[in-house]
This record gives sequence, C-alpha cells and structure tokens, in this order.
Amino acid sequence: MSSPAAAQAASVTSNNHEVILSVKDLKKHFPINSGVIIQRQVGAVKAVDGVSFDVMKGETLGLVGESGCGKSTTGRTVLQLYKPTSGSVAFEGQELTTMKPGDLRHMRRKMQMIFQDPFASLNPRMSVGNIVSEPLKIHNIIQNKVELQEYVEALLQRVGLNPYYVNRYPHEFSGGQRQRIGIARALALKPTFIVADEPISALDVSIQAQVVNLLEDLQQEFNLTYLFIAHDLSMVRHICDRVAVMYLGKIVEIGPTDAVYDNPLHPYTQALLSAVPVPDPMIEKMRQRVILKGDVPSPAHPPIGCNFNTRCPVAVPGICFQEPDPPLIEIEPGHWAACHRVTTF
Amino acid sequence: MGVLMEVKNLVTRFHTQEGTVYAVNDVSYVLNEGETLGVVGESGSGKSVHALSIMRLIAMPPGKIEGGEVWFEGKDLLKLKSDEMRLIRGAEIAMIFQDPMTSLNPVLTIGTQITEALKLHMGMNDKDADNRAAELLTMVGIPDAKRRLKNYPHQFSGGMRQRVMIAMALSCNPKLLIADEPTTALDVTIQAQIIELIKRLRDQFGMAIVWISHDLGVVAGLADTVQVMYGGRIVERGPAEEVFKDTRHPYTLGLLRSLPRHDASTNRERLVQIEGSPPDMRQLSPGCPFAPRCTYKIARCEQEMPSLIPGPGSSAEHLKACWVDVRTNQPLPEAEVVHV
Repeated sequence: MSSPAAAQAASVTSNNHEVILSVKDLKKHFPINSGVIIQRQVGAVKAVDGVSFDVMKGETLGLVGESGCGKSTTGRTVLQLYKPTSGSVAFEGQELTTMKPGDLRHMRRKMQMIFQDPFASLNPRMSVGNIVSEPLKIHNIIQNKVELQEYVEALLQRVGLNPYYVNRYPHEFSGGQRQRIGIARALALKPTFIVADEPISALDVSIQAQVVNLLEDLQQEFNLTYLFIAHDLSMVRHICDRVAVMYLGKIVEIGPTDAVYDNPLHPYTQALLSAVPVPDPMIEKMRQRVILKGDVPSPAHPPIGCNFNTRCPVAVPGICFQEPDPPLIEIEPGHWAACHRVTTF
Repeated sequence: MGVLMEVKNLVTRFHTQEGTVYAVNDVSYVLNEGETLGVVGESGSGKSVHALSIMRLIAMPPGKIEGGEVWFEGKDLLKLKSDEMRLIRGAEIAMIFQDPMTSLNPVLTIGTQITEALKLHMGMNDKDADNRAAELLTMVGIPDAKRRLKNYPHQFSGGMRQRVMIAMALSCNPKLLIADEPTTALDVTIQAQIIELIKRLRDQFGMAIVWISHDLGVVAGLADTVQVMYGGRIVERGPAEEVFKDTRHPYTLGLLRSLPRHDASTNRERLVQIEGSPPDMRQLSPGCPFAPRCTYKIARCEQEMPSLIPGPGSSAEHLKACWVDVRTNQPLPEAEVVHV
C-alpha cells in the first residue's frame, strides 16, 4: 500500500477519466500524551496509516469498514479538517497539504461535507435560512439580501423541503428533514466534490432510500463527485461506482463495486460481506458464513506484519506475521487487494 | 409446542407535557414455547415500548400501561404486585438491551453483576455463584473467564460487553429472552458473532426469543415468526418465509423494496422510496397509521383501522391489517372483511 509504485499504478488503471482527487500515502496519527504538567508523547493512534486512492470526476467512491478503521478520519483528513501527519492530497491538481490557509479556504468552496448525525451537525440556535446561507456569506458570493433569500429558498425546494420553513429552527424537523438541511448547506457553494460521512446511518430505514435517491439526483444534476463513507455495505453497493475497504487504517481492497462484491479477494472483505444479513429467510438459511474471531486490534498497537493477521482465517506463519505489510496488488483490471495469500488460497 | 405467553390488547401511553404519546395501541399476539419472534419496526413504532411493557419496566409516570393483559405461565404479568414481578424478571423472562455500555453498571465488576441474579433467584452461595458465573462467561465465548470476572465493564469491547449481557440474561435459564436491538450498536462482523452465539444458545436451552430490530436482514436469518409494527400497531405478522415472500402489507412491501441488496447487482436502479415521514405519535388517527404514506390508500383507510386478519389466499397464521389486497391493488371484498 505504502509503495509509491502501487499508488502510481492505481491512477494509471483509471486514466480514461479525469482524476479530481488524488490521495497518496496519507497518514494521520493522533498522539497519545502522558504526564500531568509536562506532556510527553508516549505513542500514537495510527488512525490512517498510508492510504492511497484516486477519485474520478463524477464518480462515487465508497469507503467502507467497521468503526475505528479510519474511514471517517480519512474523509476529514482529505478535506484538511485534520492536518495530515504525512502524505499528499491533490485536489484538481493542487496540493492541499502545503496550501496557505487563505488559499485553502478559497478551495473549500469546491469541497464540502455532509455529516452523519443531523442532530449534532446543525447549530440549534440558527434558523434554517441562516444555516444554509452562512457559507454564501462567509465566501461573499451573494451580497444582495433579496437574491440571497431567493437562492436559499430555491435550494431548500431542491432538496425537498418547503421553502416556507426558512425561518424555523433545527429542532422543529425530523431526522430526515435535518439531513436535507445539511445537504442544502453543503450544496450552497456549488461544490464539485462532497465527502458524505455516513449520511444515512442515523436515519430510519424508510427515510434512508429518500435521502439516497436525493443524493443520486443531485449528483446527476450538478455533476458531483462523492466520497461516500459508510458501514452499510448494501447501500454502498447501490450508490458507489468503486469501493475501497479499510481495515485498521489501511485500504485492504479497492476496485469496481460489482467486482469487489461478486469476487471479494481479501479475506477481510469476504468475511465482511458474508456477515451482512440479507432480508430473505430462504437465502439466510442456505448461507455459509465466515465468522471472524475476536475484535479489531487497537490502532495504537497494530499487529506486526499484516494488520489482519490476528483474525485472518487463511493467515500462515511466517510471511503474514512479519514486516513488510502486504502491498496492494492488482489482481484483475482496476481491482486491487493487499494480502500475501491472495493468489494462493 | 405449548403457548408460553399471550399478549392481549396491550395499550401503553406516555402522558408528557407536549401531549399524550400513543406508543402501543391494541397489540395482541401469542408466543409459543421455543419460538423466535422477530419484531420489526422503525423508531417510534412501539416495538421497544411493547417489550418494556411486558417486563413492566415503563417509567411511570410519564408512562402508563392503560390496558390489556400479558399471560405468562397462568399469570397476568400486568396484575402482579411489584415484588411478585421481580421474581419473574431475570428468572423467567430476561432482557438484553441495545447499548451494552449503558446497561452494565460501570462501578461494579462483571462478576458482581452476574452473581447478583444467581444469588437472588437461585439462592446460591458466593462460591457456587462465582463458579457458575465463570461457566456462563465461558459459554458465551469469553476466554479466561475466572480472571475476567474481576474486570469492570470498561475493560471489555462492545461485542464482549454484549456477551456479558447475554451471560447475565441466561444465568437463571429463562424461558423467554427479550432482546431489544442487541446488535444495533455493534459492527457487522461482531453482529454476526453475536447472532451465531444466540442461535447456538437457543438450540441448547430451547428458550423462546422476542428479537426486536429495525434490520429486516437480521430478523430474516433468525426468526420463525416475523411481526412488523408501525405507529404502535402490528400491521403484518406471520411465518418468516411468508412475510418476506408473500408480503401483504404496503408498509412491509415498501420497506423490502426500499432496501438495496449487497448480494445482487442493482445496476444503480433508483430505490423505491416510501414518501413522507413516520407519524406523530401524539395524534392518534382513527384510521390506519400508514395511510398518509401509503400508495394503495383508499378512502376507508383514513377513517377505520383494519383488523389484523389472514389475507385472502394466505395461511391462517399470516395476518395483515390492511383494507387492500396488495397483490391486485383492489379493496378487499366485503365478505372477507366481515368474515372475522
């Protein structure tokens, strides 16, 4: 994964599209400090540990994994909401990690985020109109008050909210409606790239499809590119063109959605997919499950060698338990997996 | 198989400052010994409140069980005195909850918490209770059980805590286990572990399970009978295969259609969405709670609640509460409606 060659090749395979975002060997380590007065760093939580991927213009790249695998941290580090420990993030050809704060702020017009929890991500003291128009005021896009009002109302209408609600406050809305407000805020600056961090996981089942359909309609209409972070593998299959599976801060498999789902190569992906229940009792009875043993190790003390070796059903002594980590290898066109044993089992 | 529990016309309401919340409205069903019942519904559907009402764990006030009966082994649980009920809770009926962090006491060791029920219900002494607790932990797949008994909840991961909860729930060999979204807070690989564990223990002990979930997939793999709740009512109920394959209620149908599947390529087809949002439970409509969102709606739906009866051409156990035959999109013939 960390080898530049792999990252290079990953972008080559998708050269028929324009790359909008290129992430190379991105790392985000959170320090663990100890000491009451004099703080010393005694370790680091390696939340993201050498992640490389490209996102093409107009596509949806899914980032899946279990809690603690670093998928949300990756999304936030890409947007420079966290300062990366090392690595590079190039958006539309411009390097973000070394950009001056003023230039970065200008860049943020084009990169927006939709958050998971629609209850925590809207300021309860601001009216819907103020929430949605705040980005426009900050970036000084529309000065005329009447125009601003009209723009905000049109935006609310577009995400399926009655523009009449413009003076109401977030607590007056249901979870699904709040998520629509969050989407309207993200769209206000007409971005080209949106990081959607678990945008539907806090919503009721009957509301999830509404929000997913809205996101898809908006993608078509505004030619948006999504980095879709989720743990719901069924929804990811539906919405994403390509999918990257993360485990303990690293991408273990990446490829076109159907290839990854129909022919998972990494033993973790196989276990993950087999663990997802299907709403059909007949199929559930017939299914053979790969049940993983134990829990995800702490990212502060990842295992030596392959990160997955503590739970892997096909790990062998020797290579799986020693440095270096398995690199991402292209097994079929555009479909990469990081496993020493991928070709042998 | 004999009848283990019968719920009759259960009504639970919450009298809050913002008005009365009609949480559970006239819920009736029968649970057999050893049966696994999956209760499916969204937040606010009354699925959790109905379970808490059976256990008499509703906070009163503001809550109140306003009517109904819960027959369990010849006793109406709703009429028992609170100390009689205490003998049933934990011993005859056990419950596990969604969030294993908040349902364990953080300042007591796991051992203290498991042995509490053993001493209380089984009259065990300290030593026997400790041994039994270690056995239980081993049974639910926690290694090094003797030493782990001295640990506190924060020393366990989420999945391990849920295993501790299961060990506690099963400590007195209950006849009925009520599981309220026990895997919702867990990751999918851990969820698979817990479901395997529950299946194994169910076969071993033969207890009946009421498994509450919003995840139709989890229920499909586990339940013998599926019961779909909406707006505080049962809208469809029947053997799992029939409910999933020969779905008769528009809400169940809408849910199943709106779910993408990870095991089949959808070619990015648009999801079929259910319009609108769940009902405000402070306003009880005289008609079907799903009517405002329903695509099969007829005039009668908003005036009169349909009764829960077998649909035309379905088995006697497969019930649905709907005025319309969803297969033909025609109102039920009058004869069918009066029939029950």
